[in-house]
Amino acid sequence: MFSYLSLKAQTCESWLTVVLCMDVGLTMSNSAPGEESSFELAKKVIQKFVQRQVFSETKIELALVLFGTDSTDNPLSQDGQYQNIRVHRHLRIPDCELLIEIENQVQPESKEGDWLDALVVCMDLLHTETKGKKYDCLNIALLTDLNTQTNEESLEVIINNLTQSGITMQFFLPFPVEEDKEGQGDSERRDPGHPGTGKGLSREQKKNMELVKEMMLSLDVEDGLDEIHTFRNAIEELCMFKRVERRPVAWPCQLTIGSSLSIRIVGYKAVTDEKPKKMWITVDAQSHQKDDVKRETVYCLDDDNETEVQKDDIIQGFRYGSDIVPFSKVDQEQMKYKHDGKCFAVLGFTKQSAVIHRHQFMGSQILKIFAARDDEHAGVALSALIRALNELQMVAIVRYAYNRTSNPQVGAAFPCIKQDSECLMYVQLPFMEDLRHFTFPSLENKKFTPSDAQLSAVDSLIDSMMLVEEDENGEQRDLFKPHRIPNPAFQRHFQCLHHRAVSPGTPLPPIEPWLKAALDRPEVITERCQDPLDVLKRKFPLTEVEKKKKLKTSVGSVDPARDFRALIKQKILPFGEVCQQLTHRIEQLLSNKNTQYYMKSITCIQAFREQSLANAEHYNSYLQSLKGSIPNRGLEVFWELLVQGMICLFT
Amino acid sequence: MRQSLHLSLVFTVNPETGLKAAPMAEWNAYYQNEDEEGEEEEGEHSGRDYKITGRDSLVFLVDASKEMFIKGEDGEPSNFDMTMQVVRTVYTSKIISSDKDLVALVFYGTEESKNPRNSFKHVYVYHDLSEPGAKRVQEVDALRGEKGAKLAAETIGSGETSLGDALWCCANLYSDIKLRLSHKRLMIFTCRDEPHGGDSVKDRQARTKASDLKETGVVIDLMHLMKPGGFDISLFFCDIVSPPEDESELGLQLQPSDKLEDLLKRVRAKELKKRALARLNLCLGEGINVAVGIYATAVAARKPGSIKLYRETNEPVRSKTRTFHTQTGSLLLPSEIKKAQYYGGKEIVMERDEVDAIKKFDDPGLFLIGFKPMEKLKLHHHIRPAVFLYPEEDEVKGSSCLFSALLKKCSERNVFALCRFISRRNYPPRFVALLPQNEELDEGKVQITPPGFNVIYLPFADDFRTLDPPQFPSASQTQVDKMKEIVSKLRFKYRSEGFENPVIQQHFRNLEALALDMMAPEEIEDLIMPKVDQIDQRLGPLVQEFKDLVYPAYYNPESKPAAKRKTADTGGGAEKKPKVELTEDELKAHVQNNTLVKLTVPVLKDACKQFGVRTTGTKKQELIDALIARLRS
Repeated sequence: MFSYLSLKAQTCESWLTVVLCMDVGLTMSNSAPGEESSFELAKKVIQKFVQRQVFSETKIELALVLFGTDSTDNPLSQDGQYQNIRVHRHLRIPDCELLIEIENQVQPESKEGDWLDALVVCMDLLHTETKGKKYDCLNIALLTDLNTQTNEESLEVIINNLTQSGITMQFFLPFPVEEDKEGQGDSERRDPGHPGTGKGLSREQKKNMELVKEMMLSLDVEDGLDEIHTFRNAIEELCMFKRVERRPVAWPCQLTIGSSLSIRIVGYKAVTDEKPKKMWITVDAQSHQKDDVKRETVYCLDDDNETEVQKDDIIQGFRYGSDIVPFSKVDQEQMKYKHDGKCFAVLGFTKQSAVIHRHQFMGSQILKIFAARDDEHAGVALSALIRALNELQMVAIVRYAYNRTSNPQVGAAFPCIKQDSECLMYVQLPFMEDLRHFTFPSLENKKFTPSDAQLSAVDSLIDSMMLVEEDENGEQRDLFKPHRIPNPAFQRHFQCLHHRAVSPGTPLPPIEPWLKAALDRPEVITERCQDPLDVLKRKFPLTEVEKKKKLKTSVGSVDPARDFRALIKQKILPFGEVCQQLTHRIEQLLSNKNTQYYMKSITCIQAFREQSLANAEHYNSYLQSLKGSIPNRGLEVFWELLVQGMICLFT
Repeated sequence: MRQSLHLSLVFTVNPETGLKAAPMAEWNAYYQNEDEEGEEEEGEHSGRDYKITGRDSLVFLVDASKEMFIKGEDGEPSNFDMTMQVVRTVYTSKIISSDKDLVALVFYGTEESKNPRNSFKHVYVYHDLSEPGAKRVQEVDALRGEKGAKLAAETIGSGETSLGDALWCCANLYSDIKLRLSHKRLMIFTCRDEPHGGDSVKDRQARTKASDLKETGVVIDLMHLMKPGGFDISLFFCDIVSPPEDESELGLQLQPSDKLEDLLKRVRAKELKKRALARLNLCLGEGINVAVGIYATAVAARKPGSIKLYRETNEPVRSKTRTFHTQTGSLLLPSEIKKAQYYGGKEIVMERDEVDAIKKFDDPGLFLIGFKPMEKLKLHHHIRPAVFLYPEEDEVKGSSCLFSALLKKCSERNVFALCRFISRRNYPPRFVALLPQNEELDEGKVQITPPGFNVIYLPFADDFRTLDPPQFPSASQTQVDKMKEIVSKLRFKYRSEGFENPVIQQHFRNLEALALDMMAPEEIEDLIMPKVDQIDQRLGPLVQEFKDLVYPAYYNPESKPAAKRKTADTGGGAEKKPKVELTEDELKAHVQNNTLVKLTVPVLKDACKQFGVRTTGTKKQELIDALIARLRS
């Protein structure tokens, strides 16, 4: 369900080059009532595909060729040949511009285009635009309903040409491919009830389908027919954004046991808490320019004048309990803990069961340690260690340091033996300083001890909610695999970015339904656990403890504006008194010459103003006096912010 | 070596006033979003805001009677000596992990008296309630060992005992503190079960004072020590100490400590107040919500951040950060700022609250998806340290019972619960495995592992990296057997508390040396350094035997592998590629066509230099962004 339609991207080491060739002709707009037309589906496919490429920033160049267009614009058109084919975009890195163009400019048109002719235009485009450059992977994706007249004489030449230039093909059609026509043999596997095939296809479509099959089977690929997709399947598979992929970086080192036994190894991050590649940058709201915004930090003494201190006059210090100890960077560098750098040294070995306190794993990653590439001797030596550990059910406790500047760690290296590879898996373990020994009251308490009836209710709940089950063939089926789900945070992030890029000025869309569903309890489980949950609910009374609601009696310092509004609403205290409490807080806040405090004062003044509409006397007089005191108190910066905050006196 | 050291002037912070007030909590949170750091690390929020919660405090009330100074058989340290060792350990660990906590050290049964108003005889306040600092550590050190016993005899001496007065004095220590105290604990260290020798008036007075203290929220613990003939709590102390947190637990049956390690363990278990990172609901289904608290039981301790000081006076300075418009110089309001990301040649702009809204999927909480057998939890499915789950009966009555039943059944059936977890507001969901953990006690009835669920964070598909593992032939059984001999020789018992972090230890030793004007910091022992000599000795000839089995004679694993020569047509190998200089037009064309990504990092760096673009970063994306910004304008 969550496989990634790759369009060859995964097998391609360097730049991938793709021509998307889409039929926008007359018949593409046909649709059964209540269904989306082939045009709409095909457009979705290219939209989703391009969107993935833009946001994953894969190494890809893309061109877009439309056929069936009203106009003709391609280098081969001459003497009435290659008509109704338009090169919409030449080979370039896909960008937001292309997304917007697809959204707005790719529209149904009313002519017929020959898909083989369009294919030739695409091949020509690949040929001329990649000339002199090194490209490994050239690919043409053709999206059409095959409902046009075709000049099939050129088929053989085209196939030869494709093979020679190493171009691979993919087809996206409204209907699935049939494998059981005469000449293909193997007719037993046919699913008789499969809709959409054979029946309802026009003569052209049937004929063209044969051409497509002939082409795909003659090209030098393993199973050519697998590269013929339906629009619907493609959309389903493309609906999620590509997972964040990062090239693994090799960490060569030596595993040492004592002074004279070492094994050449290489480590890779295998599992890690992946963060988004890009950060949000701050821009000016008007110009959207990052350079228009500047942040500046100044330092000052904690005296009445807030005397500013130059950066050069600042040194570093650290707390040592109640003391603050000045500690210059030079001294720190000289006195700090130093070590010999990169290492993976065995401290000793211990029983696995003693370390597998899963909850004591530290850090945010798992490293996989292999023997150095192309070093068979290291391979054998490491294999001996891995197998020895595995047979003894033990782990190595190691000192691990990534390099000279990183802090060394202590961790465990577990043996991991799979069918085709062996490795050590390293995970960081805690230092003494990291552990917090909390004690909690025992639950073996008469008050909390569940009765047998209660226990059996929990039992049936577990029974009904087991996510792993055996099917009739005795094979295990896992209904819910979090490690197959793409990180929803990234999916949502890109969905919103795409939306904003294509439709600026509109509110963000809701979370996509497929993503919501992927994060939820599987439907079978929801159904199955309904009765046990009802029983559970009856057996275990749960009552929320009512929190005494504290009635606000004064304007506090945490959120004065909120308290102020609440007090006015309560109408217990006189209006004047509440105002006085608020101004008192504002004055307190203003004694801290700091933008954050200023902003908080401003929210207070805004609340003050909004509650003073009926009676502006207090507000006006306070603001007058505040204004008067600005120069004396050196609050010009605050006043400027206040004025910018669009507050003006009632006049 | 460290000349600048002698110029150091230590600036001590008054615990009453502290450093100038930090900005209020909510504004902190607000400005954190401002940082360009991007997403905050989840789970790192164990630091607490003392402004809101108040401070923890701990008073060590130590018996200084003659009995405490009696050495054990075979020169075992005296009870007093052991206690001082514990106090020192707590002091230094507080300095490292919770330096805002307040600690006091008070002796009772002394000859000399010293207390704030000198109103109590035979009570000696050695340290009043304050943050422990370097000097205090030194002063406690001075009371250790042979010399320490002598010093104690000289300065405090042993005399009459009135626990009532001592407790009263401690009550004053608490009330003299102007700071808000959140957790107040008092630990009595003694080896005398009848401190007043049967004087019922004094006993009664002590009981009254103890109950006064308990009423003001002070928790009193007894750390009773070994006494010939056994320590009988029921004689007196059962009325002094606070009842255990939970009634069914008979905490008083604890055995007296005779080993430092035991005592330390008991003190450690109580010394830290546990605090929930969050309180939320574990939802099993519609309307079935169990209230739980989330606790961090393993948090990577880090070197604390530095404080900026004014060079001339060593006083801390305050920082003020302003955001303003580069051109007009006017200050920018939050509403005048937006957030953007650059993708596909376009600046995509969002409102600040939209950036938060994107991350919101649901309200914080745990939602049960189902259960899986324990073996389905893979060892390598690890992305961050676990947290701990315990019921909150105070929030939802009945939580403990259902939680307990769930724990029991999961444990019995060896299954874990799979949940969707949103830890805080505006945080995207993660999936977690709830692993049952049964309560375990040691022989002394001290809890080693608490009952509850460990919460293991599970990775998403994006968190796995695709590796291309090198393929090698497996080792033969002879080779494996030889390695098994090696492994067996180097067996040891791993303990998770066994390794100190040398980086942090060194940092604090350095600070200690500077604060106390010591000539050089105390040496640290790097416990995560392999003991190579011992290993070599233990293995003896095994290493050579193993090497003979797996390595050919000519092979040297220490040497760098011979650099592989590429085939001739790549041009002589060693020769560096000629530098590619881009013309401005070429570069502009790349910007135009959005093809900068196709250039290599060195080329981009050169281009930056060439066009005078200054960049802070060295990552490819940062270089590209900088170039685009420059060439667009």
